[in-house]
Amino acid sequence: MTTIDRVAAVTSKELLLEWRGRQTATAMGMVALLVILFLGVVLGSEPARAPAVLWVAMGFATVLGIPRLTQAEVEQQALETLLLYPGSREHIYWGKFLALVVMLTALLAFLWALVGVLFNIPIWTHLPALIGIGVLGVIGLAAIGTLLAGVVLHVRARELLMPLLLLPLALPVVLGCVRLTEAALAGRGEGMWLVVLGVFGLTALLVCPILFEVVMEEP
Amino acid sequence: MSNPDPPAASADIPAIAATALTRRFGRAWAVRDLTFAVPPRSVLLVVGPNGSGKTTLLRLLATALRPTSGKATVFGHDVVAHAEMVRAQVAFVSATPGVYDSLTARENLQFAAAMCGRRFEPMTLWLERVGLAGLGEHPVRTFSQGMKRRLALARAWLAVPSVLILDEPYNGLDAEGVRLVHTMVTETTQRGGCAVVATQEWERGRRIADGVLVLSGGRLADHAPAAHFAAHILTMAGSHP
Amino acid sequence: MRGQTFLGAIALGLLAAGAYVGLVASPPDAFQGEYVRIMYAHVPNAWVAYVAFAITCVASALYLAKRTPVYDYIAHSATELGVVFTGLALVTGSIWGRPVWGTWWTWDARLVTTAVLFFIYLGALLVRGLADDPRRGARLAAVVSIVGFLDVPVIHYSVVWFRTLHQPASLTRGDIKIAPPMLAALLLGLLAFTVLFAYLLTLRIRLARAEDAGEAA
Repeated sequence: MTTIDRVAAVTSKELLLEWRGRQTATAMGMVALLVILFLGVVLGSEPARAPAVLWVAMGFATVLGIPRLTQAEVEQQALETLLLYPGSREHIYWGKFLALVVMLTALLAFLWALVGVLFNIPIWTHLPALIGIGVLGVIGLAAIGTLLAGVVLHVRARELLMPLLLLPLALPVVLGCVRLTEAALAGRGEGMWLVVLGVFGLTALLVCPILFEVVMEEP
Repeated sequence: MSNPDPPAASADIPAIAATALTRRFGRAWAVRDLTFAVPPRSVLLVVGPNGSGKTTLLRLLATALRPTSGKATVFGHDVVAHAEMVRAQVAFVSATPGVYDSLTARENLQFAAAMCGRRFEPMTLWLERVGLAGLGEHPVRTFSQGMKRRLALARAWLAVPSVLILDEPYNGLDAEGVRLVHTMVTETTQRGGCAVVATQEWERGRRIADGVLVLSGGRLADHAPAAHFAAHILTMAGSHP
Repeated sequence: MRGQTFLGAIALGLLAAGAYVGLVASPPDAFQGEYVRIMYAHVPNAWVAYVAFAITCVASALYLAKRTPVYDYIAHSATELGVVFTGLALVTGSIWGRPVWGTWWTWDARLVTTAVLFFIYLGALLVRGLADDPRRGARLAAVVSIVGFLDVPVIHYSVVWFRTLHQPASLTRGDIKIAPPMLAALLLGLLAFTVLFAYLLTLRIRLARAEDAGEAA
């Protein structure tokens, strides 16, 4: 099935490029690590602060990682070739989205390990819930992030513009994940936030691919 | 590009037809009012000095740009309204190779093949055809400019296009590379397709040209069969400011 | 052109009337004293900011669907004016909040959402300005505006549920909690600023149209 071929091709190309250089993962990891350390030192490392610190760090790391999603095309002028392959450009969105999901998931796992140690959180006892929340959070961030990666492709000062574009739009994801994580660690449920994040993710995945095609149109 | 056989080429349907094709960037008119046709099984050479609009014209035909006004069709499909159909038949090789440095040659080709819906072919054949046999596992970063260009040609070739659009293909290629370009072009036209080649190198281009389009300042200065052009006429065109 | 000047004259008149009623004729509030008068500027500013946002979104959607330049002029103009009025709303809100609530800023939903709205507008404008090509800039701004518009309600309720504060809205359906003369001043202010916005919008659209025509020459 050609759609799956194309999406898989884009995802593996992105991940392969990342694996060869590992620049994005390193940069995102470093930024998140530093945010966590800094906030831990400044605010104190009571377990109650952990969810907020973690998800804020994720937000900033995502801001850093997104422009790099289209870096290779920009640097090596491969964008035109990519856009001229036959078939729908939505597939490019899905391919990059999945690659970003993989990278953010790896980052989140790393951050949880870190936060678990630094803030003394028993992550293993709540692992299923944390994984579920992670899925919702990563999907929400990646859905919007991939669209914005396309938006800033043709814009000067893309790294500077990224925080301004992503953080306001992704605010519900961060807020929701923080509350859900707090609830999970306290052993209770928060159905409403689950619905919010679920609806957010679903809507984003419906709307963003279409807008991505618009963004990638030829001038 | 999963249709190796172009539509039945009849003399009535031009492979490419442009009518008053115009594109401006801000206040600058890159191409203005171009009207011409390219019959199937033929090669159009596009010549003109730097800045005369050759690259813009090629990009318009490849659907990498939209015209400001006018229209163009490729085998009957409008480049704006039916852009996806056009892309299915066109392979565009731009002046910069645009290959991924961190990937190997084979990975670059495999990506292109998968994007064209032809995932399962072995890439060895294509590497051999462009003279990069045995270099499949080497990262493209280690390639010379000429080798990267050959890789870009292989990428276009494996798509088996009906329309081959080449922008300055001879840059950085040796005699072997030039022969490669001509083989690609001939194969495409013999299949019933056509080729549009923009180049400054008249001596090389004339060997395959059937028709010649001369651009000057974005406008069509001349369009005639290749036989009408002698070398000295083109040197005159090339010396325009 | 004639109609536009007429609109401007009406706007001016209404503003003058609103200023008089708001600053002089209406009574001071029982608790807030004279400071309540800031409300007559703040609430209309916030109202216009959200109206501008809605216009931006609709115009953006139309532009992406039809690609006629006029929708882009409207979207661009509404975004610019939206930034201005959102900024004014935040500033007047802050000035109002300080003597009345004791702080320059609170983190409640309406304020945060308005601030986020400001940044979304700003993002759309910057994307348009920094794009490598004006047509593409228009398209990118439209996309950002649409995504922003869809997101703003979600942002609002997220912040509401995340924390709660802020006085309950005074103009809730059928339950008007403010005295009639003050209500009159408020409504007059709303009308005045809306007409002013409409006038500025038409001005800005004309300017955008002229700019584009000048480029094409």
